[in-house]
Amino acid sequence: MTDQLPALIIISPLLAALLANIAGWIQKRLCFPAAVAGLLASFLCAAFLMRRVIAGGPVVYRLAGWNPPWGISYYIDNLSGAVLILVSLVALINMLANREVALTMFENRLGAFYSLYLLFVTGLMGIVITGDAFNLYVLLEIASLTGYALIGMGGGRARISSLHYVFMGTIGASLYLFGTGYLYMVTGSLNMADLAALLPQVEKVSLIEISFILCLVGLFIKMAFFPLHAWLPNAYSHAPGPSASLIAPLTTKVMIYVMIRVVLSVYRPEFVFKALPIRDLIIWIAVAAILAGSVMAFKQRRLKRMLSYIIVVEVAYMVGGFWLGNAAGMTGAMLHLLNDAMMTLCLFLAAGSIVSRVMSDEFSYLQGVFQKMPFTMVAFVAGALSVIGVPPTCGFFSKWYLISGGIAAGQYGFAAALIISSLINALLFFRVIEIGYFEPFDMHSHGAEPVFEEASAGMVVPLVATAGLILAMGFYANTLVAWFIEPIVPVVLAGGG
Amino acid sequence: MKRFAFIGVLLFGAVLLYSSFSFPPLGDPHAPANRHVSDDYIRDGMKETAVPNLVTAVLADYRGYDTMFEATVILAAGIACFFLLRRYRRKPAQHRLYRHIDTGVILIIEQGGKEPVDSKEFERIDYHWVPFDLVVNKAAGLMVPFLQLFALYVIFHGHHSPGGGFQGGVIFGATVILLAISRDLRSTTRLFPERTSAFLSSAGLFIYAGTGFACLLLGSNLLDYSALARLLAVDPVMARSHGILLVEIGVGMAVSAIMIWIYYNLASAGRYDEGL
Repeated sequence: MTDQLPALIIISPLLAALLANIAGWIQKRLCFPAAVAGLLASFLCAAFLMRRVIAGGPVVYRLAGWNPPWGISYYIDNLSGAVLILVSLVALINMLANREVALTMFENRLGAFYSLYLLFVTGLMGIVITGDAFNLYVLLEIASLTGYALIGMGGGRARISSLHYVFMGTIGASLYLFGTGYLYMVTGSLNMADLAALLPQVEKVSLIEISFILCLVGLFIKMAFFPLHAWLPNAYSHAPGPSASLIAPLTTKVMIYVMIRVVLSVYRPEFVFKALPIRDLIIWIAVAAILAGSVMAFKQRRLKRMLSYIIVVEVAYMVGGFWLGNAAGMTGAMLHLLNDAMMTLCLFLAAGSIVSRVMSDEFSYLQGVFQKMPFTMVAFVAGALSVIGVPPTCGFFSKWYLISGGIAAGQYGFAAALIISSLINALLFFRVIEIGYFEPFDMHSHGAEPVFEEASAGMVVPLVATAGLILAMGFYANTLVAWFIEPIVPVVLAGGG
Repeated sequence: MKRFAFIGVLLFGAVLLYSSFSFPPLGDPHAPANRHVSDDYIRDGMKETAVPNLVTAVLADYRGYDTMFEATVILAAGIACFFLLRRYRRKPAQHRLYRHIDTGVILIIEQGGKEPVDSKEFERIDYHWVPFDLVVNKAAGLMVPFLQLFALYVIFHGHHSPGGGFQGGVIFGATVILLAISRDLRSTTRLFPERTSAFLSSAGLFIYAGTGFACLLLGSNLLDYSALARLLAVDPVMARSHGILLVEIGVGMAVSAIMIWIYYNLASAGRYDEGL
């Protein structure tokens, strides 16, 4: 049965999604257990599979028993295994934490909500696990479509933000599809490993270059890489709480994973870093993105909006770090991918927890929130310290790799931008902490003296556990790198190390 | 902003146009896209899957995993429409129209008034009611059974001719939508309730994923229909052909139900009260 672990990772949330949709029409109480069971099974399978990958190297799973490139196959190496664990874990924690919120928010459409939730996770997991360039697009469609619906269910301007996201997301996905189409035209194959073997023999290099640019721009739109980020802040800040804390940590990170996968195992780093003169350009765009994103985050007066702009900044960290092209930069980008998902989850969950009691995430409402919700705010501070990059939280270690990668590659602008952005992040979060901790409560007379009114235990326990994971990932940063990342980083790297 | 978008579109078009000069010639039998995997599909497809229609073999067997998720995309769209559009609370200030069937007199009944529900003499009509049209009503009603038969043909004959679950499912769904257009939404939802469409959409996909999962339980890889040979009492190659039929039925069921479900939600703006 252990040979079937890769298939079980995908099929269990898919079946659970179908069950949840049916359960929503018969017995609503069954939706949540079905959904949790699906995600838990997926998480456990991913964890067991990871053990096998660490012990025995990458695993290939042939769907329907056909050999690639005729059939579709899964390809699980250390990084994709780690991202699989991450996606299922984040989705699971978020689902547990938002049980009650979802119950009140989507009472009549609970089955549909859990169904979309699980399909979204299935889509992301499928993107990560697949070894087929076209199959990746199909799963990308599922993750996007369900994401639009989950975001559109928020109140106020959520619908229009979601529509904007639909337009941008569709353009991004189409560009990726274009790129894949070009690849198929010049090679006749869709399997990633097969493509990597065939591409060096192709004579018409210009077509490969165009296909790579198309793929890359499409993925940049999908991951909200500045200046293609315009859809993200609205979509994420207007989304309903349970969706925001699911989509915000995962979508952009999985897209960055796809970029890494496409560069490392389809086009090959030798081609990408040598043949194309875009490395410096992307790094400078990343520098601009980090600075512009930080400034925009500083202008926000709402917690979730500020966090959304921080995501834009973090995306630029990872893109820039990866395109440094040296071992430290790539390690930093991959480690940050894992860390950032966890800290974004922590911050968005904390924001959701605050909204569930304070009813708003505007800064002026946050006065006295430390007295009111001490556990939530402790977790929030842990997430904030990690985003700033304070040891021993996990954010410090990935940022350390990124900065040392920048210096090693001679990209001092990038290293400087990282340090400046850390300082701005510190300002951003200390402003929130100052309002919540020090400002007198009756300043705007929103109510009486703050009383202890923590969010429900179902919310706080997963939130504090996430904060604990941030610390644990910091303490075990070396182990994470050794297990998940070192075997992936290409040994021979071009373009200045 | 619009100017930037325009320049972007022009640039993108120019890149595509430029790249088209290095495309392989149209229909070139030696182009990689026509050689690398296609040759083997054409040579071995029939031997390995016992399906004469190669498109079906590639779609539902060699790349059946893709197709499972293509069907899931449609399910996700159906659930998304329901999730976003469905309104359970009726607007309070609303009157309803009832038409006396024999005389054609239309009563406007205010909120709270006594409605002639279940009356033989009165029928409820929509605001955008069009006078009863014998030709439209009967013609549509007459076409429906033949269209549905054709839909089933398209689903089941996918092994031999163009067609399959997606196309047949859409035709089948269209017949119910035709009924809804030619009559009204209420009479159609009585015939084919919302609940049923939601059930069937999941159940259809469940047939697909369940068939794949059964293969896994029988000891083969996911969606490897040859594992069904023991259950179906045929040889493994024929089992692949039967497996394809099973999943096509699932797709047909899911797609038709989802088309109807989406139509209900869109046509009535999620209220299931009035609509086409």
